[in-house]
Amino acid sequence: MKYISQIFDIALRELNILRKNRIYGFCMLVFPVLLVFFFTTMLDEGVPQDLPIGVVDQDNSAMSRGLVRTLDAMQNSRVEYRFASVTEARCAMQEGKVYAFLYIPKGTASKLLAGRQPEISFYYTMTCMTAGSMASKDLKTLGTLGSAAVGQAMLSAKGATPDQIKAALQPVTIDAHMIANPQSSYNYSLTTVFVPGILMLFMALLSAYAVGMEMKFDTGKEWLARADNNIVVAFLGKFLVHALVFFFVIFVYQYYIFNVLHFPRLGGVWSIVRLTILQVASSLGFGAFAFGLMPSLRMSMSISSLWSVLSISMCGSAFPVAGMDPPLQAMSWLFPLRHYWMMYQATVLNGFPVIDVWFHLVALVAFTLLPWLVLRKIKNAMLNYVYIP
Amino acid sequence: MSIFRKLKEHFVDVLYIWRQEMKQVVMDEGVLMFLVVLPLGYPLLYSWIYNNEALRETPVAVVDQSHSALSRQFIYDCDATPDVHVKYYAQDLDEARSLVSRQLVKGIYLIPSDFADRVNRGEQATVSVYCDMSLMLAYKSVYQTAMVESMRLGAGINIKRAGNYTKHEDAITAQPLIVDGIAMYNPLGGYGSCVLPAVLMLILQQAIALGIGMSAGTARERNRNGLLIPDDDPHYRGAYRIVWGKALCYGMIGAVAAAYISMAIPHMFSFPQLGDWRTLLLMLLPYIMASIFFGMTVSCLVRYRENVMLLMVFVSVPLLFLTGVSWPQSSIPSYWQGVSWLFPSTFGVRAFIRANSMGATVSQILPEIRILWIQAAAYLGMACLVYRYQFRMARKYAND
Repeated sequence: MKYISQIFDIALRELNILRKNRIYGFCMLVFPVLLVFFFTTMLDEGVPQDLPIGVVDQDNSAMSRGLVRTLDAMQNSRVEYRFASVTEARCAMQEGKVYAFLYIPKGTASKLLAGRQPEISFYYTMTCMTAGSMASKDLKTLGTLGSAAVGQAMLSAKGATPDQIKAALQPVTIDAHMIANPQSSYNYSLTTVFVPGILMLFMALLSAYAVGMEMKFDTGKEWLARADNNIVVAFLGKFLVHALVFFFVIFVYQYYIFNVLHFPRLGGVWSIVRLTILQVASSLGFGAFAFGLMPSLRMSMSISSLWSVLSISMCGSAFPVAGMDPPLQAMSWLFPLRHYWMMYQATVLNGFPVIDVWFHLVALVAFTLLPWLVLRKIKNAMLNYVYIP
Repeated sequence: MSIFRKLKEHFVDVLYIWRQEMKQVVMDEGVLMFLVVLPLGYPLLYSWIYNNEALRETPVAVVDQSHSALSRQFIYDCDATPDVHVKYYAQDLDEARSLVSRQLVKGIYLIPSDFADRVNRGEQATVSVYCDMSLMLAYKSVYQTAMVESMRLGAGINIKRAGNYTKHEDAITAQPLIVDGIAMYNPLGGYGSCVLPAVLMLILQQAIALGIGMSAGTARERNRNGLLIPDDDPHYRGAYRIVWGKALCYGMIGAVAAAYISMAIPHMFSFPQLGDWRTLLLMLLPYIMASIFFGMTVSCLVRYRENVMLLMVFVSVPLLFLTGVSWPQSSIPSYWQGVSWLFPSTFGVRAFIRANSMGATVSQILPEIRILWIQAAAYLGMACLVYRYQFRMARKYAND
């Protein structure tokens, strides 16, 4: 009972601190809202649409104009420029005006009809991979359509039925099932890792900040005194408030993406709740541990911020961990976000049983318990260290 | 006092402030960390992370219900590509699904039992591809490999059916129109070569802004009345000399960091490097200046030294998105385009990618360079205003 009232007392004290220092309000409420707004509006299209594309049409035949019109009508591309030469098109690419261009040399149509296998080329820039691969996909489809047009005309002249034509042009087709993200939307895959990732960064930074500020303003002794110098109670009281605020923020975010924006998920509500608890606990644990390692406000915050920014790359959501060098693959275990993301995609996005990712769950629990190793050091720091600016 | 004396005095003050600022940077381990360790270490680390460029041999499971020569042909062909590795054969879809669930494979190829029969009857046969969508790169490998191999298989079937006499006729049957796709400026389509130039430039801006912010925070904590400048030092008399003195200090560090980031790192990790050094110089000069004055302007918002960290770390990922590297510039909503004009990184990154990765000349990146100069001038003006205010406050306190 004594402990509970002490925890409550410290929690009230912490609440007062959160109210007074404006930075908490910004990092706990304003920035997360901005962040969610930023990513969901930025990636609202889901897949980049109407990318500016150029055409160098030296053939100027009915067929080549037909190809250009088809390209313009495609979802990802918009024919924005027509160039006289390849050099001109290349310069426009370097200036960032187009992401790709299609080159149809003179005589393409007549060669095609004569069966002399003409060649058309498309050039796309891979300095923006999303745009480059989208544009190249459209241009590839266009090439296939161009080839098919000849065969189709011939077959229908011979009296083949539409089904026969389809089977003759493409004997084997692919029936794609994109589980849990049928539009292959970047919004669904990027927002759900960047927003939680940056929130985890805030949690880790703020927990190091909260403990560090006690030292900076020499209030640590008073903080510990309220818990009768029991550091565990002092910690629980302090982080209870942080955890509750972040739970609230994260649930609002999840309500927004899943119920308002209708992001797909196959996992149930419980999988989200479980993951959120682990997310908050492990991040707070990590930040407190960073402070314990180096009981200085500045160093611990620097370490947590450098580590957390790195975790956005190391979690492997953009470039997969399996593609990295083996030492980096091993290192990826040291980043809470990596485990969060693995659990998210398995249990929330795909709705798989949690037992299949149990080791990531254990890792998140381990991060939560990390401060245990340095509690004595933090206590010592609170009671004896002097802050040097 | 003669103009000459005045100029000399001004000059001496600038040099003095430059030295003071430099001393502060070297003495303060927090500032040192962001100004030296961050631009030195992070590029190395990020380059290492993305050094393998592409994801190869994505594991997939196959459910072959056809058990025909044709289905096996398809599986062999897919396995032979660099992108896909057929790791498991599953009896049915449920077994394959449990392999996905245990993260052992990233996709499933299901070949139905009537696959070969349909092809032989002259009907369209189907291969079902199930993709785990959690990794976009893995999804692309799994899906595109199946797509390409199905088209190749189809072309082979068509050649057999056509009953041609010559190889040339076969080639025309398979591909009446040759379509040649050429990836430019990053021919392998590598992830690192695409993202890293942007990350490198962003690191430069963030390191400068963080370093300036941290040292301003320290100055506030050390000086009386929470001012950015000491009110008892006679050399700090005038906003311009303070701003220029500080800018010289950070410009010195920024120049070294920029050379290292823009020339050494891409060379070490063999990222695309088509840029001429003169073009890079002309683009980096305004970029560093804009970043420094941007950092000074932001530093006036910082009350405690740690707060700048929270602010800068928070904006770094959104800033990367605003440059148009992860998400195409043409798809960025117009209001975010407007916001992106506030940050030097937006144009610094674009100019650097165009000059360095795409080999653009100065005239081709002139719009970006111009905006960077405008930003440098605007933030210089604001930094002067900030320090003029600080200077007036300091004088007021000194007089009181």
